[in-house]
Amino acid sequence: MKLLRRTLISILLIAVALLGLDSRLEAQQIRVITTTPELADMGKQIGKELVQVESLTRGVEFMHAVPVKPSFVPKLNRADILIEMGLDLEISWLPALMEVANNSKILPGQAGNIDCSVGIQVLEVPRSVDRSEGDVHPKGNPHYNLDPLSGRIMARNIANGLSRNYPQHKPVFEKNLNAYLNELDKAIARWQAMAMPLKGVKIVTYHVEWSYFANRFGLQQVGMIEVKPGIEPTPNHLISLTQKMQQEKAQVIIYGPQSDRYPRQLASQTGATVVRLQSIAGGSSETDSYIKFIDYNLRSLLAAVKKG
Amino acid sequence: MALSVLRMPAVAASVFVIVSLLVPAFCLAQSSELDALRSMVKNMEQQLQKALRRIDQLEKEKTSDTARLGQVEKSVKAVQSAPSALNPAIGMAIDATAEHRAKAGGDFNFRAAEVGISASIDPYARAYAFITGSKEGVEVEEAAMVTTSLPLNLQARAGRFFADFGRLAKFHPHEYAFVNTPLSLERIVGGESKADGVELNYLFPTPFFLRATVGGYNKLGAENVRLDDTKSRSWSRFTYLGRLQTYFDLTDNQSIEVGSSLAYTPSIRIPQDPHGGSRTLTGVDLTYRYQPLGSTLYQGFTVGAELFGNSERVERESGFRRMFAPGGYAYAEAKLTREWAAGFLYDNAPSLASPGKKTIGYSPFLTWNLSEFNRLRFQYSYLDDKVREERSERGHQFFLQWTTVLGSHTHGFRNR
Repeated sequence: MKLLRRTLISILLIAVALLGLDSRLEAQQIRVITTTPELADMGKQIGKELVQVESLTRGVEFMHAVPVKPSFVPKLNRADILIEMGLDLEISWLPALMEVANNSKILPGQAGNIDCSVGIQVLEVPRSVDRSEGDVHPKGNPHYNLDPLSGRIMARNIANGLSRNYPQHKPVFEKNLNAYLNELDKAIARWQAMAMPLKGVKIVTYHVEWSYFANRFGLQQVGMIEVKPGIEPTPNHLISLTQKMQQEKAQVIIYGPQSDRYPRQLASQTGATVVRLQSIAGGSSETDSYIKFIDYNLRSLLAAVKKG
Repeated sequence: MALSVLRMPAVAASVFVIVSLLVPAFCLAQSSELDALRSMVKNMEQQLQKALRRIDQLEKEKTSDTARLGQVEKSVKAVQSAPSALNPAIGMAIDATAEHRAKAGGDFNFRAAEVGISASIDPYARAYAFITGSKEGVEVEEAAMVTTSLPLNLQARAGRFFADFGRLAKFHPHEYAFVNTPLSLERIVGGESKADGVELNYLFPTPFFLRATVGGYNKLGAENVRLDDTKSRSWSRFTYLGRLQTYFDLTDNQSIEVGSSLAYTPSIRIPQDPHGGSRTLTGVDLTYRYQPLGSTLYQGFTVGAELFGNSERVERESGFRRMFAPGGYAYAEAKLTREWAAGFLYDNAPSLASPGKKTIGYSPFLTWNLSEFNRLRFQYSYLDDKVREERSERGHQFFLQWTTVLGSHTHGFRNR
């Protein structure tokens, strides 16, 4: 009996000690939650050992249809910093989670909320916001992460946001940011050279998320599979899109986390090549960092153009 | 002179020798210096080019930022000067059905035009309201204030709202996966858990989601007409609630959510029990979801079930007897494509006064989501009714439902 009591007390003490140690170890690091894997990658690059970073999404999701999982709530509840893409990219799921996360310091507008869209030259800001135009984003196209030059601004915003909250670590964040930007700049120069064969290539996209990517690398968008953003195509729309693709000699059909049914149907009718690209980083070892993700998209597209 | 003449060639020769010896060295020194200069210039040129490229890039970014800032400034000015600048988010849901009930006949049922309004109040609270017009009139379904920055993981809510009882009781009917409120929910809970009162939520600091709610209300249930909540009364005649809710990710794509609720009224004065015995309403809810992360637009499967139990005193010939009425519903819905979903609802609804008598409902349904904001649904129901209280609650029934959403419309976390 005595032995049992002693054993139980020992286990309890060890558990308490471990818990204490665990929380002390955790307390040393800044808890950063990001909405996408590329933001997590940048957060890690800039915060290094000062931060503990986790992304809510895995990188395979369609950002407008991420499930509102209650398992995200404790993560948001304990976060010191939330890094989000902004421009309403997370509108369909993040505000619902924030409702119950009981963490006022990471609410929009608060110091702990880092909005990476600050300073981005936003494309496709609608002149009038009306749902007859589909699921429009009143603040403009939020898929700016696909332009690597936006990546520089995203990284800068993360460093600024971390320094705003932890000014004592500013020199470290700045040093890490500069190292990351140097690496990114080298990659950008490489991508610009790599993307030369893409100049003027005519593409059709499933959704509107490829505008920034197309602009940066000189691709020419000639049509969209969705009738309007978020609205599946009708048979008439597909017929007119097929005709347009034939007239314009569209070479490539790009889709992301959508079904390949319509892209393949269009490809069989027009001879264009179908390619699936990633609209956010993550999802596989080939795209688990921002640089690898842009690299993967470019390489996949180049291979598709070559094939076409 | 002769000596000097003699010496001349020697001097000239020496000079020649010295110069010949020195010039290559000089030339050599000059060429190495030149090389160094050349490499320095080349290096500088490279650095200059690099700096120019960087300036170019920065200029581009600056121009784009300035252009954007210009746009933003303009729009900010426009927003600031608009009289509606501080208006809350407003939206409306319209829900109508065409129905045929074998025992009651047909109806164009204008079910609801629900106006939703929400905004932050200040750094400490937000508020929302749902005001619904239907063929029965206009009603404030919800109008509540919610804290946003209470310490210790607490959140308080007060006003009129759907109390945190079970799962489906907190849905506005147009948000269901099927057409009608399950009869079990309607009879036992009173439809939506509408209540005037106050609630306190606590989020446990656990690595998984665990949330508790306690609340006190005048009464519970939108259709609960047995109690009048417009008069002051003893605190023992209020309803008090406790709920515990948790959630687990089974895999990346599968999850399970479980909740248990208890609503206790110490003394309830209803026509069946004017002396006021206690009423205990219990509920257990379970939701299983299959949401393949990579294809949530096209695939998904949800099973939702709730069991309810109502315990209250009912007058019999032999005197007052405590009766326990159990009931519940279960449904499954599969997302077939981005636009189409189909499912089946089973409903088991007892009579509160005679729990032995039940209405059992079977309802297959098919939903066509034209877009995120526009939905058509067809449902067939067969109700095997042994309760015999309402003609509309028995036999074959057909529904065609059209639901649309205008503007900003969200019921947030509870309706996920």
